[in-house]
Amino acid sequence: MLNKKRTIDELLNEWMYDEELKQNILHWQTLEGQEAKFSSFPDKLHPSIKKALETRGISQLYTHQREAFDYASSNLSFTAVTPTASGKSLCYHLPVLQKILEDPSSRAIYLFPTKALAQDQKADLNDLIELMGEEVLSYTYDGDTAPGIRQKIRKAGHIIMTNPDMLHSGILPHHTKWVSLFENLKYIVIDELHTYKGVFGSHVAQVLRRLKRICAFYGSDPIFICTSATIKNPKELAEKLTNTKHELIANSGAPVGKKTFLFYNPPIVHPTFGVRRSSVLEVRDLATRLYEAGIQSIVFAKSRVRVEMLVTYLKSLTKNKIQDESIRGYRGGYLPTERRAIEKGLRNGNIQIVVSTNALELGVDIGQLQACIMTGYPGNIASAWQQAGRAGRRQDSALIIYVANSTALDQYVVNNPNYLLGSSPEEALINPENILILMDHLKCAVFELPFATTDSYGEFEVQQLLEFLEEEGVVIKTSGQWYWMSERFPAHEISLRSASQENVVIIDRTIPAGTKVIGEMDTYSAMTLLHEEAIYLHQGTQFQVEKLDWEEKKAFVREVDVDYFTDANLAVELKVLNEDKRADYETASVSYGDISLLAIPTIFKKIRFQTHENIGSGKIHIPPLEMHTNATWMSFDMPENWSEEMLTDSLTGAAYAIGSFIPLFIQCDRNDLSVVPQVKAVHNDRPTLFIYDSYPGGIGLSERVYDILLPILEQTIAHVKQCPCSSGCPSCIGAQDSLNESKGKVLKVLSILLREMM
Amino acid sequence: MSYENKMMQLKQMLGKKQEKSVEKPAFKKPEKPWYLEEWKKEGLLVVENDFGILFKRQVEYPLDYLHGSYQLKMFFEAIDKWQTSTIEHPFSIHPDETVVFFDTETTGLKGVGTNIFLLGFLEVSENKFLLTQYVLADPSNEAAFLFESKLWQHNKTIVTYNGKSFDWPQLETRWTLNQHILPKLRNMRQIDLLHSSKRIWKNNLERMKLTQVEEAKLGFKRNGDIPGFLAPIIYTDAVKSGNASSLMKVLTHNEWDLLSLITLYIHSTNLLLENHIETATTYTNIGKWYGDLKQNEQSQNVLRSVTNTFNESEAGLAHFYLALQQKRNKEYEDATQSFHKALRSIENREKLKALENLAIIYEHHYKDYEKALENTLNGIELINHQPFLKIEQRTRKLDEWTKRLNRLENKLWGK
Repeated sequence: MLNKKRTIDELLNEWMYDEELKQNILHWQTLEGQEAKFSSFPDKLHPSIKKALETRGISQLYTHQREAFDYASSNLSFTAVTPTASGKSLCYHLPVLQKILEDPSSRAIYLFPTKALAQDQKADLNDLIELMGEEVLSYTYDGDTAPGIRQKIRKAGHIIMTNPDMLHSGILPHHTKWVSLFENLKYIVIDELHTYKGVFGSHVAQVLRRLKRICAFYGSDPIFICTSATIKNPKELAEKLTNTKHELIANSGAPVGKKTFLFYNPPIVHPTFGVRRSSVLEVRDLATRLYEAGIQSIVFAKSRVRVEMLVTYLKSLTKNKIQDESIRGYRGGYLPTERRAIEKGLRNGNIQIVVSTNALELGVDIGQLQACIMTGYPGNIASAWQQAGRAGRRQDSALIIYVANSTALDQYVVNNPNYLLGSSPEEALINPENILILMDHLKCAVFELPFATTDSYGEFEVQQLLEFLEEEGVVIKTSGQWYWMSERFPAHEISLRSASQENVVIIDRTIPAGTKVIGEMDTYSAMTLLHEEAIYLHQGTQFQVEKLDWEEKKAFVREVDVDYFTDANLAVELKVLNEDKRADYETASVSYGDISLLAIPTIFKKIRFQTHENIGSGKIHIPPLEMHTNATWMSFDMPENWSEEMLTDSLTGAAYAIGSFIPLFIQCDRNDLSVVPQVKAVHNDRPTLFIYDSYPGGIGLSERVYDILLPILEQTIAHVKQCPCSSGCPSCIGAQDSLNESKGKVLKVLSILLREMM
Repeated sequence: MSYENKMMQLKQMLGKKQEKSVEKPAFKKPEKPWYLEEWKKEGLLVVENDFGILFKRQVEYPLDYLHGSYQLKMFFEAIDKWQTSTIEHPFSIHPDETVVFFDTETTGLKGVGTNIFLLGFLEVSENKFLLTQYVLADPSNEAAFLFESKLWQHNKTIVTYNGKSFDWPQLETRWTLNQHILPKLRNMRQIDLLHSSKRIWKNNLERMKLTQVEEAKLGFKRNGDIPGFLAPIIYTDAVKSGNASSLMKVLTHNEWDLLSLITLYIHSTNLLLENHIETATTYTNIGKWYGDLKQNEQSQNVLRSVTNTFNESEAGLAHFYLALQQKRNKEYEDATQSFHKALRSIENREKLKALENLAIIYEHHYKDYEKALENTLNGIELINHQPFLKIEQRTRKLDEWTKRLNRLENKLWGK
């Protein structure tokens, strides 16, 4: 009976009567499917495109694809919100191909967030072009492109598929080699728009302003086509990113099958401390059930290490079969050929279970699977829906199981299924006004084309900034024009994936003769993660930092195999530089503005895996780091009869709880924002909670927090109250050393703030 | 003031644009730089054209001017030599061509933000050689500077050192930026002497920097030269300070580069066309080059003169290239002999190729399977015992050779 193949519906019927399983399933919800909504082909659609689509069995378009075509035909930039497997690529292929067939001199740039995605999409596009039987040249252009064909691509390529990093340092600074592209650029396609957020998005916003500037020089005015997963503010993000007005296509016409969501919480094994059974083990057991029922599934795990762990566990299911490939892992770092093989195996059914990091969230074509398990909450609603979207073949039912970790956010989601199923997803924020990022790209922009004293840059007036660059000695002003005048190549000094000025390079010297660079990290994170003796995890391998050359920004590491990890403490001093916004209440106040932050690394602890006992510590010898960023802060009066110690504990707990909940509202990583308590803030001597952007100059997160502080506090309080632990646990206010009244005090602090603000 | 504080100040400066549309004005002549007099004092001429201001310097050289080991007029003899020889070669110059030796100095290494600030030309003018250097007055006067070069006007043959991949593409970039005002840059014939130097002196000169070639081959040593990498800083400083005294040293540097291009052309022509043998290595390189150009007769002549002049250990590579040609011409006996001679002194990579060719000739031409087997076994041993191949190459090669071995064993002893 165990190994009998079953459908999702049959399996769910069995599970309904499985008492053991049912006690961990907190919620069970079925969303009914939706029929496809079609539109006819546009009349003007080129016969070759029609022919190609018909060969693929497509005789009409989904409504959103038709809408896309119509917007493009009327020369309007637009953003299409498209769930997984809704045929989003036709939203841009059709208008682009149509334009090229109408006028073969037309050009388009396709921008994908990574090199790998561009290469994935190339096959799909080339297939379509082949069916059309027309000569349309499309190429990927990135670090892997052979020098021999680069010239041809520059001159003759109709569609250039690339990534923002290549555009930034490989194309824009050499625009004179791309004259035919820039003179005839009709479309700029930005796929996976929702990935352009935070620091990366703020950089890309600048790259696109530079791109538009160059287009204007060559006399072209391209239209932007963006596609995005579901986020709260796609139109706003697209408009901020491209500095262009966008139309929005919000409704997809693609059919959706019936989906059943199970919210699964691992059982508590230690009630006092609120410790639950490991989600990885639970996922292993659930995936085993799916495997035995013959259901093709995808399992998402948050880290590469977890992916490898789960694959190892699950492979024991097939250990008696020879050369069985039905269970595979998939993550970044695999070779392209290996990834192609896995994708193919998924499409043709040879692979039954794939365990993946969020690498498969993005638009890689693996066909549709039947079931999806999420090991832990992926951090935001948008990702969760993308992952869930991997399950669900057209007519069939799909099963999505969310297995919670014990973190605050995970526990909140598993206890409040409506948050995931009912509310709109988070906002993706960028900050094109980040002055550090802007200055970096302004240098690139002057390098690329001189500025007249009457010129602006994007939506900015930059004449005074150019004067600053003149003082720095990299530009000169003659005859009313600003010119780059330095032998430096500014684009090489800027990495789009980080906002800090310098990165620490991580060098592996396990093999003395074969030292190699294995990664980079921004200086701020490096203080706590790359200090000497730190254990640094890279692709699941443990390295120990042997030597940190802070002057040269180099960390030398060696591979080790130890049973502990390290955790470093950072003492933070905060100074308010400027208060931009302020709201005063009876005894409390909330402000937003610029702060300067002095981070002083102090000590690190070695902590054993599993037991989490402290097995040693040491001092960190790194000079303090100063950073200027944006923050929102709340100050209030100390409650009567409280000691400073009580206040410290409760502020720390409150900071922990608030920090965990911000990702509920804003699409950002837990580390993009920091919440730091100060018992006596330097600027006003009052107890204060600072919430600041973890990147120099800020990326717009804390400014948004200022506006939505009230709901954040409400959610936080409700969750801490609901948490079943008795006096505080990692799921609410953080692990507590002793059984005291912290939880009550944290609630008190939070309530004071809430009451004042109401 | 800390960097962060500076940024705080900058943030106050950042303004948001008011929507307004500014019409791009038509070309407006740029202002004259304030340092015209200062630069003039250093010996530069001020030129003004429709597009603005530039500076210019000219120097004349008599025909018998001696630069290193050569008089400049020997350039004419070099052209005659190409004319009288029947050889087709990418470096031959026809007497009807207008030749100009060309070199630039720039403010950086790549990208649109890199300016050319000096265009140097050296050409024949009636009974003398004439050096003309154009100096960019400042970036806003670029169109004037480019226009004056007349590179849009006449077709010439441009002789450079690394011009094909550096100077000319850089010039095209500058031209593209000014395409709306300037006439089109012409496509011209390019002769890149870095390319010929690499072919001729491979394995003979360690580096191909022009100054090193000068010292080793052209009998010229510079005195008081500024290193090329300082040029960008010197130019920037001259524009900012108005003081051009250091800039004049860059002009001298450029002048030496151009003079050496002439003598390098003369010297290379002599090596290519006369049985003037420098070393076995260079002459073998020349023979191979002719071979690659499909000038088989010339190639074999050159290679034979190496094998005739030098002992077997020095002429090994010449024997090897000769053998490859003989085999291509189906002169199997000669080829076999030459390969055998080559084997004694060539490097592993070529040795393996020689063994492979011998195995092929013995197997397919002479049907001498034992000899073929012997060479095959030698080849396999070479792969196994000499670590000159990368792992993947090694596996692939072993695979090929093992197939040959199996086939030969079958032929010799049946299945």
